[in-house]
Amino acid sequence: MSETAVEKQSFATYKKNNTIEDGDNVVMYLSRENMSIIRVKDGEYFNCKFGSYKHSDMIGLEYGTKLGSNTGRGFLYLLYPTPELWTLVLPHRTQILYIADISFVMNYLNLKPGMSMIESGTGSGSFSHSIARTLAPHGHLYTFEYHQERVNAAKKEFEEHGLSDMVTLRCRDVCKDGFDLEDEVDAIFLDLPAPWEAVASAKKAFKQNKVGKICTFSPCIEQISRTVTALNEHGFVDIQMYECLIRFNEIRVIPMWTIDEAMEKQRAVEKKRKRATPRVVRDDNSSTQDDENSSSSGHINKSVKMEPSVDDSNQSSAAATPSSTTGSEMEDSVSTTTSTPVIGSEATTPAETTASASAAVAEPRERIEPKNVVVTRLPAEQRGHTSYLMFATFTPATQGPSLTEIKAAAAAATATMEK
Amino acid sequence: MAALNPTDIINAGEHVFIKMPSDNVKCIVLKAGSSVSLGKFGTFKANDIIGHAWGNSYEIYDRDSKTRVYHPEGISEVEETANNNREIVDDPTSQKLTLDDIKALKSEGLKGELTGEEIVNKLKESHATFDKKTAYSQAKYLQKKGKKFHKVFTPIKPTAYSVNEYFYVKNPSKIRDIRMDTLSQLLSYSNVHSGCKLLVVDDTQGMIVSALAERMGGKGTILGLYDGDNPHYDIVKYMNFNQEILDTIKVLSWLRIHRPTDEKTPDEMQDVTQLTGKDLEGYHRRLKAYNIVEESRKTLFEGNFDALIVASQYQPESILEKLLPYVAGSRPVIVYHGTKEALLETSTWMRRCPNLLAPQLTESWLRKSQVLPGRTHPEMSTWGTGGSLLTATKVIDQPVQAALTKRERLAMEKKNAEAKRLKRAREEAESAASSPAPAPAAASVEDVADEAVGGKEEGSASTTVMDDGDESRSIKRAKQE
Repeated sequence: MSETAVEKQSFATYKKNNTIEDGDNVVMYLSRENMSIIRVKDGEYFNCKFGSYKHSDMIGLEYGTKLGSNTGRGFLYLLYPTPELWTLVLPHRTQILYIADISFVMNYLNLKPGMSMIESGTGSGSFSHSIARTLAPHGHLYTFEYHQERVNAAKKEFEEHGLSDMVTLRCRDVCKDGFDLEDEVDAIFLDLPAPWEAVASAKKAFKQNKVGKICTFSPCIEQISRTVTALNEHGFVDIQMYECLIRFNEIRVIPMWTIDEAMEKQRAVEKKRKRATPRVVRDDNSSTQDDENSSSSGHINKSVKMEPSVDDSNQSSAAATPSSTTGSEMEDSVSTTTSTPVIGSEATTPAETTASASAAVAEPRERIEPKNVVVTRLPAEQRGHTSYLMFATFTPATQGPSLTEIKAAAAAATATMEK
Repeated sequence: MAALNPTDIINAGEHVFIKMPSDNVKCIVLKAGSSVSLGKFGTFKANDIIGHAWGNSYEIYDRDSKTRVYHPEGISEVEETANNNREIVDDPTSQKLTLDDIKALKSEGLKGELTGEEIVNKLKESHATFDKKTAYSQAKYLQKKGKKFHKVFTPIKPTAYSVNEYFYVKNPSKIRDIRMDTLSQLLSYSNVHSGCKLLVVDDTQGMIVSALAERMGGKGTILGLYDGDNPHYDIVKYMNFNQEILDTIKVLSWLRIHRPTDEKTPDEMQDVTQLTGKDLEGYHRRLKAYNIVEESRKTLFEGNFDALIVASQYQPESILEKLLPYVAGSRPVIVYHGTKEALLETSTWMRRCPNLLAPQLTESWLRKSQVLPGRTHPEMSTWGTGGSLLTATKVIDQPVQAALTKRERLAMEKKNAEAKRLKRAREEAESAASSPAPAPAAASVEDVADEAVGGKEEGSASTTVMDDGDESRSIKRAKQE
């Protein structure tokens, strides 16, 4: 696979030389919404809407480099694949965990290098990559998945991403068959439809003489109540539940005129209109005279009514704006600035955008520069729920018998008493 | 049994958080042989927990402050009863015990003659309307009284999470309001891992540095830049780090980044061969300090940092401007601030910065729920702000070089231009024959702008005109005709 590569790439760490080599995985960043991952191979091409990119051109470049397409029209950034980027580019085989839940769970479970952990199910391997990175280099991840095709796909990915040494992937239905691990792990994460069925086996898998933490990830509150009961019965303590979401802000620059500035603008417009008025009056007079000549009062009214429209067309062609449209003109320039997706448009600074927008509608000498305000806005549609994160603590071996064991003993005792 | 690490057990001399029945948390340094007072909940002997594994709860059970491991009974299901609150009236006399009676019970409890549970039971028995309460209300009553009279405590191991939670609840401004979820996202975005090299400006009293150091587990380097006389990484001491982890944290004062030209090395100042006694000691002290600064400088100037993390009270862009050159390509740059507004200008600055890709301003939302069988719901009060993160990726900006050679590109452009001219000539000939429709020259620029979404480069876009643009125009014209 990567015989020619000087340093084998791993998603768990960076390469020392930070250079793209044959066989590396590289994230092609076109935009936030348009990213994909490729495996660099001499002689191949990466094609997209903006042109094609030779793999051989990438080899030897530092990660993070901006690369132009064959036409010179488009370009992209060559990024190092991290677990966070992998979450954004991976092929979805299942629903996946995103950064909010991944981060919070890892922090709560206190994951750090050298730990061992269970994850079930593997799914699309989104969380697995983050865990592996955090436990590396000497920790270990046991990950379980009952779907054979998903297992095969994940196995290939772990190998290609340099993680297979520290990940054990098993095709197994843990709810039916358990984890087959005893006294082995520090933390357990269960993303299963029925996590309560795996709790008994999970208890055995914990290192028995030290504290352990378990997290279950369930979208429905009904699942939560069944899991609580199971955790409780098996002697887990400190049961807590959280929900975590990230809000991604859109940043915008909007112009803010003071009312005085707006009035000044309007005054300028009115002044301009006044300048135009004599001509209109003259027109009016001449037309009235014409009308008088025809001696029809109805006609006079009609021509008077017509005036404004004539006036309007005259003025708009002379690039002067009547007061009635001042409001909309301001709105226009506001909306052009607002609707400009400022994100990614590094070429024009927000200030320039505003300037050009207002320049288009007002004469330069009349232009009033508004104060620009940077604001944030949450997109209209937000993620409102992912799953409930339920945590519990496994207490070490010095603990006494669990509730179920006590109950069983009590039942046995009463049974003997009755005898 | 799996082998235990020293960090898996409670050691003497370490920081320990003690969670009390009231859910309040107390931070102590556990001294061997000492007694630890938990106020109204009693006193325990440090030696009773030293050497034990973390994770158990203990009950203070007799007058000599003896403790035993406490096995919580687990949460019981609430059985629905026919009771409702129709009969319940607000009546202070429903508790038959007087204040003095309760005080007496309490002091008996402190002496160890009564357990917490027994006291709660007495309160329950002498409560006139307890039986009339709904099952939920009864459970709540017992829980509430338990928090007052139980004598169970739980030692909590300091971790990035528990330390963060402790300070976030106790004194959030000390750590600049960074909450556990925000910190967790910072850790993810930073891609911190064993062996990486980080550049950090941390004004959260070392909360961020502590979390990063924990994730690196003693391998790699954190270089923290600080202002003032000393780096204020107070939080680090709560983490019970071993020397290996502490050694990964290096610091450098902003004032010492560049060696002042008039600064002399200890060897230049004094001739070591002439020194004796106190002077010699002083020399060695100065030499050590000098070497530490030199090493930190070297670490900084070698660059190639794997992340830049800034959580400073100073203007973020002024810091980024100075430190960005030391960050390697394709590495995260993260700015934390307690308020989102403080990051707005920085985010527009980032957008203009050609070496930063896709700045993103995020806030986190965290909600905790009460989980009891049949009584699960979000908690009535929740957290306010947890701070904001501004993240971007360091990239290497360079003029876009097309993958084609210049000659190839020129040839291609020439070919395109030729084709276009021919086409236009043909069209003009056709249009002249039918109707005179002047082709607007500016239209082509618009078409190109539409296409060049991925290519923000000006100029390069307008050199070649797309064929489909021409086509659509010719179709339009055909329709007109």
